[in-house]
Parts: sequence; C-alpha cells; structure tokens
Amino acid sequence: MRKAGACLIGAIVALAALAAAQEGHPLTGTWSGDWGPGAAQRTHITMVMAWDGKTVSGTINPGPDQVPVSAIALDVTNWTVRFDADAKSASGPVRISAEGRLDDIASAHRTITGTWRQGTAKGDFKLTRD
Amino acid sequence: MRWTLALVILLGAAVSAQRSSVYDSERQVRLEGAVTRVEWVNPRAFLFIDVRDASGVVANWAVEFGNPIELERNKWTRQSVRIGDLVTVEGVPARGPARQALARSIVHKATGKRLFESSTARPAVARTAPAPRWPDGQLRLGPSPGQKGYWAGGGARNLFDSTAKDIRMNDEGLLQNLADADRVAPMQAWAKAIYLHRQRTLLKDDPIGACMPPGGPRQFQMPNGVQFIEQRELGRVLVLIGGGNRNWRVIYTDGRAQGQAAEVVLTYYGSSVGRWEKDTLIVDSIGYNERFWFTNGGLPHTEALHLTERFSRPDLNTLRYDVTVDDPRTYTRPWTGGWTLQWVAGEDIEEYFCEEGKTP
Repeated sequence: MRKAGACLIGAIVALAALAAAQEGHPLTGTWSGDWGPGAAQRTHITMVMAWDGKTVSGTINPGPDQVPVSAIALDVTNWTVRFDADAKSASGPVRISAEGRLDDIASAHRTITGTWRQGTAKGDFKLTRD
Repeated sequence: MRWTLALVILLGAAVSAQRSSVYDSERQVRLEGAVTRVEWVNPRAFLFIDVRDASGVVANWAVEFGNPIELERNKWTRQSVRIGDLVTVEGVPARGPARQALARSIVHKATGKRLFESSTARPAVARTAPAPRWPDGQLRLGPSPGQKGYWAGGGARNLFDSTAKDIRMNDEGLLQNLADADRVAPMQAWAKAIYLHRQRTLLKDDPIGACMPPGGPRQFQMPNGVQFIEQRELGRVLVLIGGGNRNWRVIYTDGRAQGQAAEVVLTYYGSSVGRWEKDTLIVDSIGYNERFWFTNGGLPHTEALHLTERFSRPDLNTLRYDVTVDDPRTYTRPWTGGWTLQWVAGEDIEEYFCEEGKTP
C-alpha cells in the first residue's frame, strides 16, 4: 500500500515536472499531433526540433523511418512556421512543404496548426508541444 | 450606518507594487466595511472585509496589504485590527472580476488611526564602515563573527546592458517605453519577440508566479534578500535566497573545474564554480534549464546560458553585483549589467514560502 502510494506520488511529481513550462526558443522540443488530407484520415506524427543559435533543425518521426527536416523557418513577426522535408518513396525523395501558425507561445504545450502539400496532395496538420 | 463602495478611474496613476499582472494600476478603489478575517501569511498578508454597495448588496473583498515581516517591523501586529472593526481601504483593484485589492492605506474608521500605508522606502543604511575580512585578509560576503545580516534592496535592481543609458523600468522590469527593448539587451529576433510578448502581457506568464525558483541574476532581485554562508573549510559558498521557497545555491570555491556543458544536469541555479581575484569573487555558471526567467522583465534564455558573476564589497553596507550574460542562442553578443545591494544589519532573511502567497 505504502509502495503504491509512493509510486503515485512519484507519478504526480513526474507529471508536474513534465507540465513545467519551457521558456527557451519557442520551437525547441518534442511535438506530436496528426496530419492528413481530411478529418477522416489522420496519421500520427512526432516532430523534434532544436535551436542552435542560428538554425532550427528537425526530425519527423525519429527512429528507423525518420525523416529529416531540411528547412525550418520561423517568422516572429506573425509567429508562422514553414517546414520542408524530403520523404522517401519508391520513386525517390518526395518534397513535403508545410506552413502553420504558432499559438499560445507562453504555454509549454503551445501548438502549431497549418497546412501541408506533397506534390498534388494536400491537407492540414496540428502539432502540440509535449 | 451606510457603507459605500466607490470606484474611481485614475488614468496614469502609478503603483509601486510588484504585481502588475494581478492589479490594475490605472484604477483606484475605496472600500469601507467590517473586517471578517485576517490572514497573516508570508509573503502577503490579507484582510477580508464585507463591503455594501449602493444597491445594498454585500460582497466580501480580499485586501492584500503587505509582507508580514515588514509590517511587524513597522509595529503592525495581528492584533492591530480585529474581526468586526470598520476600516477604510484605499488601493488598487485586481484586474478582472475578482473582488480583490492591493491596499495603499488602511484607516480604522472609529479612531481615524492609519493602520497601514504602503511605502517604497528602502531600509535605513547602517553606519558605513570597511568591509569585514577573514583573518587571512580575504573579504567576507557575510557578517563579521558574532554579527548577523543579509543583503537586500538598495536601489534599482533591473538587469540591462550597461552600455545602454536611461532605460526606465519599474521594479518588476516592465519597460516604461517598449521602444527601449532593443537597448535592454542585444537580443536575437526571436528573443526580442518573446520579450515584447511578455512585456505586453504584463509578465502574466512569469514562472515565478507559479512559484518556480528565481534562477540566475533574479535571485539577487528578489525583495526578501539573500544571505551568503561562506564555508571555507568545505570550499564552497552557500547563497540562501530569501525570495525563493527557502532555496539555496552552491558556489564551489575549492578549485574544481567547471563541468562540461553537455554533461551538466540542467537546473534552476546551474553549476557554479568561483574564485577570488583580489577582493572580487568571480563565479562561472552553466547548466541552466529553460523553465524560468533569469531576470525580472522576462528576458529569455536557452540551455546555452553562461553567466559570469562578479561580487565585490566596497564597504560594509554595499555589495556590488555584476553579471555577464553569454547565451549565443539568444543574444547576438555577451553583455553585462549589474546593481548594488544593501546590507541589512542585525537580521537574518525571514521565512518565506511562495505557495502561501496566493490569495487565501
């Protein structure tokens, strides 16, 4: 019982730590959400971004099938973000371009909401910072 | 008896309180009513009064009126006002619908005695004297043997690039003129955008409002002061931070090397090593997390933050604090700012728990 209580307290502390704000560069961190051509067809996405002082680097779905993001640009005058990534396909790399708006910048769980385009396909996405 | 509530709009009125995101300094409120409760909680004492408006409706207001420790120094005690006493409060109302105010004055209605009046006065300066030293001649940052004391206010303690002149900001770091943002520090574009957002929103998202620790130079901006415990036999200096949740910080002075930035566990107070150069303690700190604001006013930083702090004590009553901020992910070049703190003789920093500072 006591052990279970300790575990519960530990979990609460861990959750509290996770809930703490991140106050550095607004794009830095791990983001998760989904994308798709419409509301009925969604695909989970994880995106990790880091700021080195000059450029923002990023990786989509880190792991064996990860896709490096070739360019990330943040326009701080209107908090818009642009991404470009080259995904692999049977016929070679396929350019994915996306543009979204960064909202709730003071929150640790800020969001990026926008649209993407891959060749003739297009749709929307939403990412929330973990 | 008719109790009244009058709300007066005073454009341009200034407020000295450090609570701009909570209280609306552009307005003033006058409340009359009977005291229903007193919460003598550090760092903010509250009394509650029932106020009847012109239509006869009674509402209970929470009136914040100061730090109990400072109030005690000014002869206020928990018996100064009793449940049922009629008082008149003049102050600044909270933003939004909350029935809450920050008192500028509280007057006992029956006797006309002024029970409280806010003051921005700094503690009186003790008689000046040479800074105390250890037997080997090294400067002491703390008291002489047999004495006690700590470092607190003594003037403006806002951090900005020392090459800039005439930047006006209040004690919270709110700029009087947002156009001065470029001169506060050499910020990258993203950092300036974040800084301006924080300024425009009156610092409402300040992590310190959620009782997060005041890491970096901010520990020396906190109103409750700091105390140095020099443990020479252990090769370290402890900084007791009066404005945190009984926080402390360790500065190692045993000659150890600073850790590699990539290997240091990121914390609110960082990893600090110090060395004495003549009468100046030079402290090198890295390893900061990004979960706090390192100075009032909302200047941003990243994990790359590297601080070089210089502490000197030109006389008994004066501590000079200078800090060089080097964070190439946030600023376009290193920059330096600083201020002085004043010795409060014969006292220790007082108990303070941020969590108790919420409206009871």
